[in-house]
Amino acid sequence: MSDERKGVDATDYAALDAAEGMAVEPVTQWRLFWTRFTHHRLAMWSALGLAIIVGAAVFADLLPLRDPIQQFSDATGRANNLLNPGGQFPFGTDRLGRDVLSRVVYGGRTSLAVGFLTGLMVATFGTIVGSVAGYYGRWIDTALMRFTDIVLSLPLLPIAIVSAAFLRENFRGKEWLTLSVLLGFLLWGSLARIVRAEFLSLREKEFVEAARAAGARDRRIIFRHILPNALSPIIVTTTLTIGTAIILEAALSFLGFGVRPPTPAWGEMASTGGREAVGGAGAWWLVLFPSMALISTVLAVNFLGDGLRDALDPTQSIDRK
Amino acid sequence: MAQYVVRRVVYGMVTVLAVSIITFWLVQNTGADALDRLRGNPRIQPEQIREMSEYFGLDRPPVEQYFTWAKNFVQVWNYPDAWGQSFTGSGPVQERVFDKVLGTLRLMVTALLLALLIGIPLGIFQAIKQYSFLDQTATTASFITFSTPIFVVGIGLQILLALYLERWTGVKFFYTSGMNSVNYSQFSFWAKVGDSVQHLFLPAMSIALISIAAYSRYQRATMLEVLHSDYMRTAKAKGLPRRTVVLKHGLRNALIPIVTLVSLDIAGLLGGAVITESIFGWPGMGRLYIEAIGLNDWPIIMALVVVISFMVVVMNLLADLAYGWLDPRVRYE
Repeated sequence: MSDERKGVDATDYAALDAAEGMAVEPVTQWRLFWTRFTHHRLAMWSALGLAIIVGAAVFADLLPLRDPIQQFSDATGRANNLLNPGGQFPFGTDRLGRDVLSRVVYGGRTSLAVGFLTGLMVATFGTIVGSVAGYYGRWIDTALMRFTDIVLSLPLLPIAIVSAAFLRENFRGKEWLTLSVLLGFLLWGSLARIVRAEFLSLREKEFVEAARAAGARDRRIIFRHILPNALSPIIVTTTLTIGTAIILEAALSFLGFGVRPPTPAWGEMASTGGREAVGGAGAWWLVLFPSMALISTVLAVNFLGDGLRDALDPTQSIDRK
Repeated sequence: MAQYVVRRVVYGMVTVLAVSIITFWLVQNTGADALDRLRGNPRIQPEQIREMSEYFGLDRPPVEQYFTWAKNFVQVWNYPDAWGQSFTGSGPVQERVFDKVLGTLRLMVTALLLALLIGIPLGIFQAIKQYSFLDQTATTASFITFSTPIFVVGIGLQILLALYLERWTGVKFFYTSGMNSVNYSQFSFWAKVGDSVQHLFLPAMSIALISIAAYSRYQRATMLEVLHSDYMRTAKAKGLPRRTVVLKHGLRNALIPIVTLVSLDIAGLLGGAVITESIFGWPGMGRLYIEAIGLNDWPIIMALVVVISFMVVVMNLLADLAYGWLDPRVRYE
């Protein structure tokens, strides 16, 4: 990692050079962020990879793919089950003769939808709870933070499993939505703590005092003055939470508490594929492709979060010396 | 100090209570109860169903059911009947749960030991040889591990180290399922040990891998921080040999924060155990939990959820206390 970062040095930036040399073009914060981000090679590659994965999942209908649910058979009517990768089926077929390639592409829909929706929920809850607790302090802070402590000390997976079983039974067919809500409720705690810490220190700063002296109300101070300054940890933590949510969704679907078959999902594919691969049939492709899709997506999300952290707030980089 | 412990214990109790109430509400509202399977059986009379329903207290209002459950549940000493009977007729809940606690603990403790014994030396080595080839490789590997779900690791290990390794070498190194072989009881002592290790290694390693990644990253960072601290410069300036400086002055201080990491990791290890147990057919709490949820056998679900939360709360408290004992700068408020 450090190699990429070593190259990211203030003197490297074309934008900065231009501004220094001619002093014509103003260098905005956004511009600085953008130059730093585009210089982070790993993050750029991850963004590209993620764009491809998301694009494939969103536009799967337009791609020349087979139906992910249809069970194929050859001309004589025999099922095309457990075909090796290659030829007509680049990723092979599963036990029921379904095309693994198109199942991997379509399976991304669930994972990505749950990941991004959970991220949205976490950002909303975490920011609201954290900013209210940090800004108002006193008993509100104590009450909200005790609540956060309890949420954070829940045994995540057992609670997620029993809740997913409940949601699955009571809200049939909307698993992607209910799973996002569930994971959103379970994962907002750490962001709330981070936002609270930011607010605690920012509310004592001079610019907040100035705003208050100028007669700004609480709402204006929170949204216009403090929140923009706390934005970078919120963005970074949310991005990393998306990775966690994708892994958890896959784990739940692996255990049989995710979307209902025959809708494809990476976790479920790895689960049934694992049984085929280990249980004698040796069908490694049933495990390999969904797993690779899962790992590359989460890896891309995590590297993106890393790049965002370096670009948004260079002083916070973990690898700083 | 005493005040701190009391406060932590109270919060822990609130957490366990909250978990039990949430779970109770969830299982009460998850579709049909376990008796529905019996209702579908033509050989069982409606009369019997009603009797069973009364016996389990299912005809009572949910709040009353919860209090009855809680009252019986805290009387742990009434072994084995305190936690009632399993709905599916598989015996007293307490017996079934206690039976599986040891299985999960064996898996978790092994995973934790593996993670500590591999992760910490790796992190220290990475810090001492910063930016070396090994450091870079280990860093990349741990980033990939962070992004890999535990079930992918589990199935991958099964395929590579059990299935293909046996196919290539013709020797069975590891088993993919169960805790012991069928004829385990007839083995000699050493054969028993070997058999247990062959069964234990892969599931424990699947859980440990992500912790190895986390511990080595963390240990590397703390060790680097310590290596650049003032007292290390003093030790070097005194002319002490590098070995003494690194091991005696550096390592001792760099090891303390790992306690926090372990305490934060306990819940993760338990969650990992739930998934790994169902991949490797390991007789533990996680597999029982998944089974019980499938059957909606709520006395077992409730017992497991409470036991698991209790374990997490207790271990976190112990780890925090150990941290204060190791690092005198920490004060409890």
